[in-house]
Amino acid sequence: MFSLMSGLWSYMFSKTEFHVLILGIDKAGKTTFLEKLKTIYSISEGLPHDRIVPTVGLNIGRIEVSNAKIVFWDLGGQPGLRSIWEKYYEEAHALIYLIDAACPTRFEDSKSALEKALRHEDLHGAPLLILANKQDLPNAVSAEELDRYLDLKKLDERVYMFEAVSGYDGRGIKESIEWLVGVMERSKRTETLRARAGYTPVPNS
Amino acid sequence: MGILFTRMFSSVFGNKEARILVLGLDNAGKTTILYRLQMGEVVSTIPTIGFNVETVQYNNIKFQVWDLGGQTSIRPYWRCYFPNTQAVIYVVDSSDTDRIGVAKEEFHAILEEEELKGAVVLIFANKQDLPGALDDAAVTEALELHKIKSRQWAIFKTCAVKGEGLFEGLDWLSNTLKSGSG
Repeated sequence: MFSLMSGLWSYMFSKTEFHVLILGIDKAGKTTFLEKLKTIYSISEGLPHDRIVPTVGLNIGRIEVSNAKIVFWDLGGQPGLRSIWEKYYEEAHALIYLIDAACPTRFEDSKSALEKALRHEDLHGAPLLILANKQDLPNAVSAEELDRYLDLKKLDERVYMFEAVSGYDGRGIKESIEWLVGVMERSKRTETLRARAGYTPVPNS
Repeated sequence: MGILFTRMFSSVFGNKEARILVLGLDNAGKTTILYRLQMGEVVSTIPTIGFNVETVQYNNIKFQVWDLGGQTSIRPYWRCYFPNTQAVIYVVDSSDTDRIGVAKEEFHAILEEEELKGAVVLIFANKQDLPGALDDAAVTEALELHKIKSRQWAIFKTCAVKGEGLFEGLDWLSNTLKSGSG
């Protein structure tokens, strides 16, 4: 009986594949963060940070954490490229939003791009992880300060968390990802996406 | 023994070989791009019937670049070259807005090909020097690049006759191929 249940359990949950969008304005450190993730969680070494160039398109990272497979979509953040972000919303289980915590002059730009994303109905109910990145820099503000500065409205119904990380030295990343996997596993959006995928498989090109 | 040494040598110095296909409609600028990359010069080209193939050494990667003719009648033969391809460079004439819809359809048909499933995709929005050329964001939109969700892609504005943007694209390719993610 137990093996039957556990078999059913693993059948239902072991192959869960989560899609996580990594967004943020240009120079927030999205690709460096992604490469660090790859280095931490998979056998393949991510790119060293000095080889990373501005993204004009899509970078993909695949990792496995406990029983979850996660596919990360890292999209370019330059103003002209932000128009394609929303095309990826519908299939995303969660959103990671990176902010360069050491660059206060661009907080406003970050804030408005984030607010615009959160208003989009295709992201409805998606858990949100806001990362105060570049903590390796001496003048980086803490996650709490960033939270206070952004003063985001309408987050009440959304599961969200602020976390301080560094894509350069890797601090805070494991905690962030653990949190994200936990909330994605419990989130209603995951159920919705799973149900939808069951009815109409989306062909990937 | 010699093979062993060669392998050790190339693993130490990071030499890699990659097979790259350059595809796109006729008159997109594929051949000009190929020879610009290979010789650093602009050559005068005629429509390619068949293919041109050259080796381009860049960033410790030996790119074997296949430039296939783009005319409608010979596009069906592209697939003969698909096996073992690590990357596709798709060249678009950004000023040819009339045919960008056709360019999009051909592009997505290529992505459907089983043998190219693992290939990364680099798009060159070429002919940026011509009036009315769409920029990278507009070409992204027109080609519906957002439909690509399971492989890496990047788009670069290029002008093959001036040599702009081409090596930035190759930089991206070599980084992406080295990090082994497809």
